[in-house]
Amino acid sequence: MNKIPVVINDTKLEVDPHKTILEVCREHDIEILTMCHLKGIIDIGACRLCLVEVEGVHKLMSACTTKVAPNMVVKTSTERIRRYQLITTELFFAERNHVCAVCVSNGKCELQQLGYKVGLDSIRYPFLYPQCDVDTSHAWYVMDHNRCIMCTRCVRVCNEVEGAHNWDVMNRGHQVRIISDFNTPWGESISCTSCGKCLHACPTGAIWPKAIVQGQLQKNPAMITELIARRKMKL
Amino acid sequence: MIRHELHALTERVKAKQEHFKHRICVCCGASCISSGAEEVLHKLQEEIKSRGLEETVEVIPTGCMGPCNQGPLVKYLPEQTIYQKVDCDNIQRVVQSQLVENKPLEDLLLFADSREKAFVNANEDPFFKQQQKIALKDCGDINPESIEDYLIAGGYQALDKALFLLSPEEVIAEVKQSRIRGRGGAGYPTGLKWETVYKYVSDQKYVICNGDEGDPGAFMDRSVLEGNPHRVLESMAIAGYAIGATKGYAYIRGEYPLEIKRFELAIKQATKTGLLGKNILGSNFRFEVEVRIGAGAVVCGEETALIASIEGKRGTPRPRPPFPAESGLWGKPTLINNVETFAAIAPIILNGGEWYSETGTPKSAGTKVFALAGKINYSGLIEVPMGTTLREIVFDIGGGIQNGAEFKAAQTGGPSGGCIPAAHLDVKMDYESLMSLGSIMGSGGLIVMDKSSDMVDVARYFMEFSMDESCGKCIPCRVGTKMMHDLLQKIGDGKATQIDLDRLEELAEYVRDTSLCGLGASAPNPLLSTLRHFREEYVSKILPAE
Repeated sequence: MNKIPVVINDTKLEVDPHKTILEVCREHDIEILTMCHLKGIIDIGACRLCLVEVEGVHKLMSACTTKVAPNMVVKTSTERIRRYQLITTELFFAERNHVCAVCVSNGKCELQQLGYKVGLDSIRYPFLYPQCDVDTSHAWYVMDHNRCIMCTRCVRVCNEVEGAHNWDVMNRGHQVRIISDFNTPWGESISCTSCGKCLHACPTGAIWPKAIVQGQLQKNPAMITELIARRKMKL
Repeated sequence: MIRHELHALTERVKAKQEHFKHRICVCCGASCISSGAEEVLHKLQEEIKSRGLEETVEVIPTGCMGPCNQGPLVKYLPEQTIYQKVDCDNIQRVVQSQLVENKPLEDLLLFADSREKAFVNANEDPFFKQQQKIALKDCGDINPESIEDYLIAGGYQALDKALFLLSPEEVIAEVKQSRIRGRGGAGYPTGLKWETVYKYVSDQKYVICNGDEGDPGAFMDRSVLEGNPHRVLESMAIAGYAIGATKGYAYIRGEYPLEIKRFELAIKQATKTGLLGKNILGSNFRFEVEVRIGAGAVVCGEETALIASIEGKRGTPRPRPPFPAESGLWGKPTLINNVETFAAIAPIILNGGEWYSETGTPKSAGTKVFALAGKINYSGLIEVPMGTTLREIVFDIGGGIQNGAEFKAAQTGGPSGGCIPAAHLDVKMDYESLMSLGSIMGSGGLIVMDKSSDMVDVARYFMEFSMDESCGKCIPCRVGTKMMHDLLQKIGDGKATQIDLDRLEELAEYVRDTSLCGLGASAPNPLLSTLRHFREEYVSKILPAE
C-alpha cells in the first residue's frame, strides 16, 4: 500500500493511510496518553487523554479515533494539551473514591501511572465522594464501583471478544454505572461466562479476583490484544 | 397514483370544500389544548350545527397560531380575525357576533385586553406584521390531520415538481442556492450536506428527520410537526429523491405524544394516497418513512447519538469523523436534518432557491422560528427573517417586558447558548452576530429575563440541565459539568472565593475544548456568556480574600 506523508511534532513521517493517529504515534514511539483505549477492541474516544491538535481543525481530535490523512500536521504535546491532560487526570481521581494505599491494584494501576506521568501532586477540585457499591456476589471476582473510571473497556471486551455482553452502562452523567445484565448482582448474571477478560481489561482496581489482597493484583491487558490477534490469524 | 392524478385529486378536494363560506380554526397546538381548546372545538362544532350553519361554515382543529399565552385561540377565515381566551361560556357570543351579526366581537379580539386598539385582521397586528412565515406557513390555517387540507394549500406540489421536472442534482442545486443553513442549531449549509451524502455511492442511504427537540423553553419543531406534519413528510421524500435514499426515519421525542400521533397519521394518509411507498406519483421513486420515538434524553438530539438510538443502542455520541454523511445509520450514508430545516425545503423547491435566499442576511438566508418565553408579554411561536433585531422581537412582536419591567437579558440557544444583555438589544439575529456575542442561534429557544433574574443562578440552572443530560461517556462533560455546577452553587450561596471563580473559568474552557460532542462542548456557554456580560454579579457574591 502507498504510504502517505504526515508531520507529527515537526517530524516528517511516511505512514499507512488506514491507520489512526494513535497507531502511527505508537509505532514511532511518540507518547500519547490513553485510558479507554485497549488495542484490538473498538475505540470510543471517551477518556479524552489522547486529544491532539491537528492543523486546520479548530477542535482537538482524539488520536484513537482519527485516521491520518495526507499532509496532516499533528501536535501531540502542546502546553494546552498537557494542561488539559492534567485536569482530566484530576477529574478521574476526584470523581470516585480512589484510595491507592488500600487498593488491590496499588503499584500496577494505569490510573496511578497516569498520575505520575502528568505530574499530579494534588487535586484542586473537590472530591465528589459518591456512594458506590462493591459487588462481591460473583464466586471468583469483585466489581468495586469506587475504583471504576467508566473507560468501558470491560464492556467492550465482554461484548466484542467474549461475545457475552454481560456488562453495559446505565444512567447518565456523573450517575453512570457499569451494570451486569439488567442491573442484577454479578453473581446472578445469566450472560457472564466467568472468563475473566474484563478483569484483565480493567485499567484500575475496579474488577479483581477474590483470591488476592491489597497491592497483589496481576493484570495482563496485553493478553487480550494477543488473543484478538490470534483469532484474526485463524480466520 | 400517477402524476396528473395529483392535480385532479387536489381539484376534487377543492370542489368538495367550495360550499364553505367560512372556516373557523381552533388552535389545537399543545399549549391551547392545555388551556381547553379541544372542549372549545367540540362546543363550537355543536354551536354551528345547532344554528344550522354546518353547510357554509366548517370548524377545524389546527396547529399552533403563535400567541400561545393568549389561548385558546380561534381564528375566522377568510377574515383573519383571531379571538383569544375563548371558552365554552363566550363561544355563543363570538358566533352570534361574527357569523350572525357579521361584525367582530371587539372585547375578545386578540390582544384586546392589552392593546389600546385590537386589530380585526390579526395580520395587521404588530405581533404578526413583522413576521414572515415560510416554515410555519399554513400552520394554524389547515387541519394537520387532513391530507386534503394540505393538498388544497398546495401540498405535495414540490415533490411533484422535484420528481418530474428536476434531476436529483438540480434539487440539490436549488437547496444550495437557497443558502439555507441547518436549523437545528449548528447552522451547517444544508445544500452542502445534501451534496456530500449524494456523492457517496452506496446500495442504501437514509434520510433522518431530527425531531428530538429538548432545550428548555423550545417548542419550534413540536409546533411544526403538530401543525403541518405533511410538509415535513413531503420534504423528507424530496430529500430521499435528491440523495438517493428510499427510507426515512423521523426521530421524535416521546414527550410529544400529539406530534407522534399526527405525524404517524400523516404517514398513513400519504401512503394510502400514493405519495409515499412504491412508484410515487407514477415515477420510479420509492420512499418510506418510519417514526422512532425517543426515550427522553437530550443528547439523542446529537446526530451520532440519535443514530445509535435508532439502531437500538444506548444513545451516546461517538467522535466524528466519520460523519453520518459517510457512515451513518447502520454504517450507511445518512442525511440528517432538523424538523424546521425540512419544513423550509418544500417551499424552496416550489419557489426556487433564489426566492428563499432573498430573505434574511447574506450569510444567514431565510427565516427562523423562535419560541418566545420568559418575562415577555406575548410569549409564543414566531417566524421572522434572519437579521431581525432582538429589540424588534422582544418589543415589537413580543410586546415588551411583563409589568413594564426593564429588560435584562435574553437567552438564545438554551443550555448550549448564551445570554444577550440590554446593551446588545440591537443585535441582528443571525448565526454570525449571535456567535460574536458569545451566544448561538441554537434551535430557536429565546428566553427573556427582566431585572429580577440572578445571572449566576441562570448559569447554574442551565449547568444543572447539562449536568443531568450529559450521557456520561466522556470525562470532561460527565465530571466537568458536575464540578462547574457545584462551583456555581457555591458562588450563589456566597461561600466561594476568587480561587473558586478561577477554577470555574479554567474548567469552562477545558470542558468546551475537550468534550466529545456538542452537548459538552457547548455546556459552558451560559456560564461563559454570563461571565462576559455580567461579571460584576459573580464578583459581588465572592468572599473577600483573607
